[in-house]
Amino acid sequence: MRKEDTVKLISAEGFEFVIDKRAAMVSQTIRNMLTSPGSFAETQLGEVRFPEISTTILEKICQYFYWSLQYASGKETEFHIEPELTLELMMAANYLHT
Amino acid sequence: MRALRSRVIPSSSAETPIKKSEQSTEIDTAAPASDGAEVVGTPSQSSVPAPDSGGPRSASVMPQPRRSLRLASAASRRGGGASAEGLPLPLKSCPWKGVGSGEGASPCEGEKVEAFTLGRRGGMSDRQNIGKRKLEDDASLIDSKGSKSLRSRKSVTKRAAHSDAENLVNAFDLEENQWIMLSKITDLDGGDTENREKGSCNDEVGSFRSRKILRREDKGKDKIGDNEVIGLGAESSGSKPSGIGEQRKYGAEEIGKAKIVCDNMLSDCSSVINLDMEINNLLQKSESIGQEFLNVAVAQRKSHRVKAVGESSSSDIIRRNFRNIARRSASRFAHFNPDDEGGNNSQVEAERNASAAPRPADPEPEDWPGPFSTAMKIIRDRGTNVSTLQSNSFFNKWKSPIIWAPRRDRHTQAKRLIPSLLELCLNVLAANANAITSLDGVPDMPRHKLSQLLCDSRKMNKHFFDLLVGGSPTEIRVKDSSWLTEEELSESFKRCDTRNIMVLQLDQCGRCLPDYAISSISCSASCFPALSTISITGACRLTDDGLATLISSAPSLRSINISQCSLLTASSIVTLANKVGSLLRELYIDDCQSIDAMLILPALKRLENLQVLSVAGISSVSDDFVVEFVAQLGLNLRELVLSDCTNLTDASIKTIAEVCPGLLALNLVNLTKLTDSAVGYLANGCQALEKLILCRNTFSDEGIAAFLEASGELLQELSLNNVKKVSTDTAISLAKKSRKLQSLDLSWCRNMTDEAFGLIVDSCSCLKELKVFGCTQITDTFLNGHSNAEVKIVGLKMAPLLEHCRVLIPDNPLKY
Repeated sequence: MRKEDTVKLISAEGFEFVIDKRAAMVSQTIRNMLTSPGSFAETQLGEVRFPEISTTILEKICQYFYWSLQYASGKETEFHIEPELTLELMMAANYLHT
Repeated sequence: MRALRSRVIPSSSAETPIKKSEQSTEIDTAAPASDGAEVVGTPSQSSVPAPDSGGPRSASVMPQPRRSLRLASAASRRGGGASAEGLPLPLKSCPWKGVGSGEGASPCEGEKVEAFTLGRRGGMSDRQNIGKRKLEDDASLIDSKGSKSLRSRKSVTKRAAHSDAENLVNAFDLEENQWIMLSKITDLDGGDTENREKGSCNDEVGSFRSRKILRREDKGKDKIGDNEVIGLGAESSGSKPSGIGEQRKYGAEEIGKAKIVCDNMLSDCSSVINLDMEINNLLQKSESIGQEFLNVAVAQRKSHRVKAVGESSSSDIIRRNFRNIARRSASRFAHFNPDDEGGNNSQVEAERNASAAPRPADPEPEDWPGPFSTAMKIIRDRGTNVSTLQSNSFFNKWKSPIIWAPRRDRHTQAKRLIPSLLELCLNVLAANANAITSLDGVPDMPRHKLSQLLCDSRKMNKHFFDLLVGGSPTEIRVKDSSWLTEEELSESFKRCDTRNIMVLQLDQCGRCLPDYAISSISCSASCFPALSTISITGACRLTDDGLATLISSAPSLRSINISQCSLLTASSIVTLANKVGSLLRELYIDDCQSIDAMLILPALKRLENLQVLSVAGISSVSDDFVVEFVAQLGLNLRELVLSDCTNLTDASIKTIAEVCPGLLALNLVNLTKLTDSAVGYLANGCQALEKLILCRNTFSDEGIAAFLEASGELLQELSLNNVKKVSTDTAISLAKKSRKLQSLDLSWCRNMTDEAFGLIVDSCSCLKELKVFGCTQITDTFLNGHSNAEVKIVGLKMAPLLEHCRVLIPDNPLKY
């Protein structure tokens, strides 16, 4: 993947997740960050920090992004969520508008 | 009559559709009942050729005569005694030119006449035969006709009148009956071809005219005064719209075809003054459907016809009658603004500010052409204009002046609704609610949604309630607290820090909220300092004292919902007014049976900032209440819910429209006494409406359509549930005007066709929800052919039940 097609999401612990831009755009918040006019640091560097989101949750979120692209292209599978993660995942999803 | 008809019908099998329509018209005319009204009525019916199918007419012809018969009889009934007897008189002298399309050899005119005089039945078949024949000939003439006639009603009328087939033309003007009569009266000794042409022309014209006439009548109901339209008949404004609507519907394709032929014919005919049409219309509206109708028709013909055809003694009578009618309708003529040529002249008409026909049956007619009446005129003319235009274009555009074709490449349309992560998480949480240990840090919206999910699946329990109540919540929302007991409630609230609560919703709390339990919630005065919204619906054990205690603990209350609290009386409202009078914005007292509307009126008037009032189901709400209340507080009012207050009439709506310019939402469910006037008032007065909920109201298609044209631009939510007369006009207006519509309920609107739905859904791009319960007339043509990817169509077999309840976002507290 070329650098222009990717975005880096950084969790609270500093883990960096490099994902496809299209996948990141599933989240309205990230989409706004990356596409809004004006020079956000996010836009320039191509990376977004989430100090409130833990690594496991952010990983699950990235998985959701890809699952969502897959779903949109026709392949409808089930997205399993571990119950322990669900509450935090929900709050993160609420924040990310996804 | 039936037998007669059936005899006729098969013979027309060979005819073109046009002929068939004529035939059907003929048939209908042939089978008029003894009263002229009936005869007249039938033509209108029959002139509306088979419904949408536009297919083989013969099949569709049959049912029509019956329908028209009904209409006719209805019309005749209303016609105030238009005596059928009158009919035969003038007829005797006129040869019965085969008005109908007669196929095969046309018996000579003379024969026909005799046949006619012998009896309607006898003549009818001949007539029909002749008519059929004529239609055939007419068809060949179509090309020769110019487009002139097609364009303007006037010209068509003119030509029709002047055509040699005056009889026929006349007959058509009068909607079959007239037509027949006229043909009888006038001597149709002309050449067969001529007559045939005329006949067909007449047929066409007749149907065309009847169409126009119908429309016109719709338009000018008040003007006419004598609203009886033959066929459409003496239907009062209320019924007329439906009749017209139906006719239009049926006539869509059929009439279009008929018109084409007719129009063509007409263009060849010498020009007839526009008045002809007018007169025809007027004639149609004449009260005494039978004789006068005929007489007028004939007289009209005669007077306008360039060549007076066969004047008979009856023509004198006719002229006399005509003069009377003309006198009566002179004013209408004076104000009539003929439409320009061209198709849908809505714009032109609007600009023209024609003396818009006041709405029918308007008890207090508008003395100025307000937006509603202009819109009504537009809509009424729309149909006629379309029909004029139709002759030039294809059939299928007409009536169902709805041009909508389903898309073929549907598979590219289906945008999958990907479940959001939030949704998925909520579902998992709801399934495992008991395992949740804390809701700390969870914002209000997910809490609310979770609570909703649990209540819907009956999994709500004390555990989760404690979670909700625990900590220092800002919102506690429980949609269904029927499972909650008093002990649980008091126990949970003990641990609750109520300092920050802004929204408290304990709906269906009858079990847990008697008077003495209030103290467990509101431990001290002002223990809910931040509470602005409280909803305790269904607190059936709560009395005025309990409520007073509750209110005194919430000094900054802005919205209160005490619906279905059956023990509360007017003194609760007084307490409210005393304690939070100037703060209160929203008051919901649905179904509070012990609250008398007039008694609370003084207290209500003290709620100066009230924006939302909901008094659904309180039977003591009367016109006086509404008028007085609105006069005081109307300026601030944003939402008014008056559903099930069945005593309300148009007077209330009139006042509301006058005094509440900022009204955003109005609920008029089950107010059956309202008429189209109410819609008119709303259209003129409440132009900012975003939400209109109607259900089981008796508004007409044109009324609703005109409302949409005038004030429908900001509508976001519209319910026409069970407003049965809604049909193509409304669909067109919706598609044209209501671009912001998000939720539309057209359940039980069985006059809406696939095309109508398709047009609406494709035009209203914001539409997210379409409810179509009970609309079994919808087929896959619409369901698979519409190109709106986001709309959710609920109510048909394939949608899971109750799914529609979840489609749109729930209301936030403090809406405005």
